[in-house]
Amino acid sequence: MDNSIIKITDLHFSYNGLKVLKGVTHSFEKNTLTAITGPSGKGKSTFLTTLNRLWEDVPGAALQGCVELKIAEKWRDVYASSMDIAALRRMVGMVFQIPNPLPMSIFRNMAFPLKLAGVKEKDQVQAKVQEALERAFLWDEVKDRLHSSALELSGGQQQRLCIARALILEPMVLLFDEPTSSLDYQAAGMIEDLLVSLKESCTVLMVSHYLDQVSRIADSRLELADGKLLLSNISR
Amino acid sequence: MSEKALKWTDRAVVVFAWSSAIILICALFLLIGSLLKNGWQTLGLDLIFGNAPPLDAILLKRRVFGGLFPAIAGTLLLVVLSVSLAVPIGVCAGVYMSEYASAGLRRILGLCFDILAGVPSIVVGLFGFSGAIILHRIFDGFRPCLAVSAASLAILVLPYLVRTTQTSMQGISPGLRITALALGASKMQNIVYVLLPRSMSGILSGIVLAIGRCAEDTAVIMLTGVVATAGVPGSLFGQYEALPFYIYYISSQYTDQAELMTGYGASIILLCVCLALFLIALGVRKGLSHQVFYRI
Repeated sequence: MDNSIIKITDLHFSYNGLKVLKGVTHSFEKNTLTAITGPSGKGKSTFLTTLNRLWEDVPGAALQGCVELKIAEKWRDVYASSMDIAALRRMVGMVFQIPNPLPMSIFRNMAFPLKLAGVKEKDQVQAKVQEALERAFLWDEVKDRLHSSALELSGGQQQRLCIARALILEPMVLLFDEPTSSLDYQAAGMIEDLLVSLKESCTVLMVSHYLDQVSRIADSRLELADGKLLLSNISR
Repeated sequence: MSEKALKWTDRAVVVFAWSSAIILICALFLLIGSLLKNGWQTLGLDLIFGNAPPLDAILLKRRVFGGLFPAIAGTLLLVVLSVSLAVPIGVCAGVYMSEYASAGLRRILGLCFDILAGVPSIVVGLFGFSGAIILHRIFDGFRPCLAVSAASLAILVLPYLVRTTQTSMQGISPGLRITALALGASKMQNIVYVLLPRSMSGILSGIVLAIGRCAEDTAVIMLTGVVATAGVPGSLFGQYEALPFYIYYISSQYTDQAELMTGYGASIILLCVCLALFLIALGVRKGLSHQVFYRI
């Protein structure tokens, strides 16, 4: 039985004429954690943004090929004109290398994606905020200061807040672009535990430079080399 | 360059930077000090309201002769009207330049705005005056008035508003720029909820600059509706008095020393009017960023 959730076929991507992806073909299975490794500046982050069309705001970028997402057991072309980009990005969430909480309170940061999605009922918003913060192992640390600025949190807490903010939309796929590279060892450990726990509810794709981290938490590793994704071994 | 030369260059740069800052601060204090020295004796309710009771003058029950109240009211109305006209257009044009215009169009439009910023205000005044003449041919009885002055001043300050909005929006970090987009925000939601609030301090700088320019400019209003004695304007299409014109008029036409001193008094009042408008702009900015944009 096909357990795939993302299917990529002959994907080419260029930036100002420079070819970054050269015919990538791959399928990602549901509820797995896949690590993408490779040298810096070779298009790993760009590859992630091809899955939620976030690259489209970059001038000079061009894409060819097919990216499909299985929604309600039906394959949908991510780049079809009928695809609602906002809805796509709610289904395929993304967390960045540097934590990027918005300059507002913790609660408002969490409620922001719901506001964008049109959720207005206060009880529903509060319940979802608590649930997402609990899933990100952050609720106990912030429950007494939900209305203080998110910028006052430590780096690790800010990153978990960003993960919780992405989780609140209940995405099918979560993309992580080097989520621990700006954090200390202890904070990185907590994020790793969190990533493993996320596999139960969604599919996780993570760009990482740390092979030891990949061997600890990833189910499979793909090496991006010369514009192509190659399946690599994980040494445990 | 030898180590000694580097050390001396380093010291020279520091001394030059400090000196420049001190000269600037001294110039500011000299200016304010000179105004206060010459004008403080004239300050009082008489200077503003003449012989009229202040309350009657403020409620427009009695016309003020020999006081600055009509000029203060005219200046305030002029600034509020001009800035109200210029801010929405300027901010929207700045958003377009930053978020929607292609690189080529941005260059061309940017050049146009820079040229407009460099146009002498007397030329903008002439443009307003020409507009008033054309309107006079269409609408009998139309003449240079408050509305023409406000529109001309709005044109004068538009480039500052466009450029400050554009620069502050383009200065937002790429990380913050894509945060809301990655959470499913549309481009418009990203602009309204993230980019504009983050640019508010830069936009406010443009508005403060615009307020100052509208309050002080004399060349534009001289050609477009200001007169020495008109009273408080009854409508947008009436002539009006303004503080900068009063200062110009008194300093060039004064008949005795006491009259000249009232010009200094008017200058102090003009500075106070600008300060009050700046403070209001700051208050509006705080209210906007916290109550409007981030209310969830």
